[in-house]
Amino acid sequence: MIYNFIKALRASNIRISAAETMEAIETLNHVGLFNRQLLKDSLSLVLAKTRDDKETYSSCFDLFFSMDTTESVAQDALDTAPTPGNENRHNNDQKKMQPSSLLELLEQSDQQALAENIAIAAQQVQLSNIRIFTQRGIYARRILEHMGVNELERKIYDLAQAGEEDEYKYLKLRKTQALENILELVDKNLLLYTANSGANLRQEILEKTPLARVETRDFKTMHELVKKLSKRLISIHSRRRRKAKRGALDVRQTMRKNIQFDGVLFNTIWKKVQIDRPKVIAVCDVSGSVAQTARFLLMFLYSVHEIIPKVRSFAFSNQLGEITSLFQEMPIEIALNEAINQWGMGSTDYGGALHELERLVGNEIDSKTTVLILGDGRSNYGDPGHLALKRMHLKSKSVMWLNPEPRTFWNTGDSEMNKFTASCDRVESCRSIRHLERIISDIARHTV
Amino acid sequence: MTESSNADNAISVLKEALKKHDYIASENISTAVYLAQKLSKPILVEGPPGVGKTELAKATALLLNKPMIRLQCYEGLDESKALYEWKYGKQLLYTQVLKEKLSELTSDSESLKQSVEKLHEFDDTFFSTDFLEPRPLLKALWADQGAVLLIDEIDKSDLEFEAFLLEILQDYQISIPEIGTVKSTVPPIVFLTSNNTREIGDALKRRCLHLYIPFPDSKLEREIVRSRIPNVDETLEKQIVNFVQEIREMDLKKVPAVSETLDWAKALILLNVNNLESNIVRSTLNVLLKFQDDIEYIESEIPTLIRSVVR
Repeated sequence: MIYNFIKALRASNIRISAAETMEAIETLNHVGLFNRQLLKDSLSLVLAKTRDDKETYSSCFDLFFSMDTTESVAQDALDTAPTPGNENRHNNDQKKMQPSSLLELLEQSDQQALAENIAIAAQQVQLSNIRIFTQRGIYARRILEHMGVNELERKIYDLAQAGEEDEYKYLKLRKTQALENILELVDKNLLLYTANSGANLRQEILEKTPLARVETRDFKTMHELVKKLSKRLISIHSRRRRKAKRGALDVRQTMRKNIQFDGVLFNTIWKKVQIDRPKVIAVCDVSGSVAQTARFLLMFLYSVHEIIPKVRSFAFSNQLGEITSLFQEMPIEIALNEAINQWGMGSTDYGGALHELERLVGNEIDSKTTVLILGDGRSNYGDPGHLALKRMHLKSKSVMWLNPEPRTFWNTGDSEMNKFTASCDRVESCRSIRHLERIISDIARHTV
Repeated sequence: MTESSNADNAISVLKEALKKHDYIASENISTAVYLAQKLSKPILVEGPPGVGKTELAKATALLLNKPMIRLQCYEGLDESKALYEWKYGKQLLYTQVLKEKLSELTSDSESLKQSVEKLHEFDDTFFSTDFLEPRPLLKALWADQGAVLLIDEIDKSDLEFEAFLLEILQDYQISIPEIGTVKSTVPPIVFLTSNNTREIGDALKRRCLHLYIPFPDSKLEREIVRSRIPNVDETLEKQIVNFVQEIREMDLKKVPAVSETLDWAKALILLNVNNLESNIVRSTLNVLLKFQDDIEYIESEIPTLIRSVVR
């Protein structure tokens, strides 16, 4: 039973390792199964390890154990029974629990026994493997067959032939009731084991979808994905530091290290620990030609803001303007719309934008600065401004260009990627969330 | 059946015992402490500040009559402060003494080889436990009767330190390169607390029981107030708790925690208040709320709040 429960938890996105499963079993040994609240509390301690998980866990627990109170007892007894390996252990129990035929059960109209038998049959056809809703019918049928529906149907048929109206109707009704019970159980299982798989699948696909093809209705999911991504990156990169070569002498550590040399100071240890503070200047093209992806590039910029403290962001189409304060003060939805409304939807002018950028921040660029440009490099056959970029490149630590077009499209038509590539340290094609994640992680690691 | 009722009994006994040490535990909390003992696993306690995470460790230590060893985490905490340190001053002195002794000892030996052999007859005392200065973690492992180890605010420490804790939390042992592995005889009961300023690593979480302490509901909070401040008037106590509970529902920068409720109750008793009134609440609001914005916001709401509470 505990395995099924853990399977259900995993299906609703709680990550549980094998070691934790073992702990859960050990916990069961200590607390037993009969006090539900105690069970819930203790398993929550072992299995759900964040606050969000606790909430999911709580509802999952209630759902799982709501599958009829009597049933949990039945399942418990069955838990040890059906595997052929340990038959000798519970041989007697198993015989007792052997399901009597559906026909007998219905004739006796013993609800409790019926529920128990349904539960057992469900277990034996491995109902917990159910994955999508179209399988409902199959599993319900399998359970029925397992309980000996054939015999029942033959009986019903015989009764109909013999013209025993009352009994025929009675059995038929009982059968429908049993079927309803079974379907209810199947539905519960479906809900339990597949709570999130649909959403998960959708997210997985979205991660790989080119940004330009994401539909409006998926914006919300995308946003969540980007958020998740930035959260993950923040926790990985926010605390990177390095030991400086020189600084104040760490007397304690030095003594400690050199004691083996009789106190002669062979190895010196320096105290200064420097926190890396990468400086990033990001420029995003929000013009009509990249309108589809602009939203996501901005979203991406927004998450960069959360990770790296010193970011200045600019957006441009035919004019360039700073959007740093916008990003810092506004929630993401408003900031994105503002940025696009204010600077977007014109025709691209790379030359003008890069010169303007140089005028605005040229003096700020130093050997610690990374310049990040997001755009398709299509300058409408105007001046691409690559010379300005080159001058900035010389002063900066590195220049990176992320292009939402696939590589094969570069340098076709008015794309000037060749000229830009000459003054970039890295040029990447960045078309989906996956790409974004890889690149942003690289930036955080190397912009130091 | 027996396991379950045994556990039930043990947990309610534990709860009562914690109560005797002035800690009112919810069902969940006492279950956690019970399981931590049974499975000998550390407990990672999370929750908003001021709900009694640290107090839980203290009460448990009192309850089990074991020494409590506390390690406060902060950025830059390293093993020489958390685990052990060599007494290098003493070690240096020792080398001085050794030098003098050495010449005496080796004076009668003829070759270099002989003197080296002679030296080998002595124990390798230089890196021995004599020169080891135990810090909290090592102290907890060495404690004969076991101990309650509180690693406070683990989220304030560095990632490296977290990784370093893993060995201790899993096997209750640590490796000191010069000596070898030190294993505890009686595993200490470990509490880790976190305010969630950063996400704790999965590896660490996996090794712990995870307990989340939320703000208490009004019944529990009233019980806490009664046990901590025995001379409180019942109507006042009820009003205070209801008031705080109402405030917690509001949109504040920092919602008042249990410790603030207690402070406020103490303050009101000092002022000889028997009934909540607007002007008294207004003048003591700074005990409860720690941001000027919050105070200003609540001040306008005081009459409505009091009406709903006193009723």
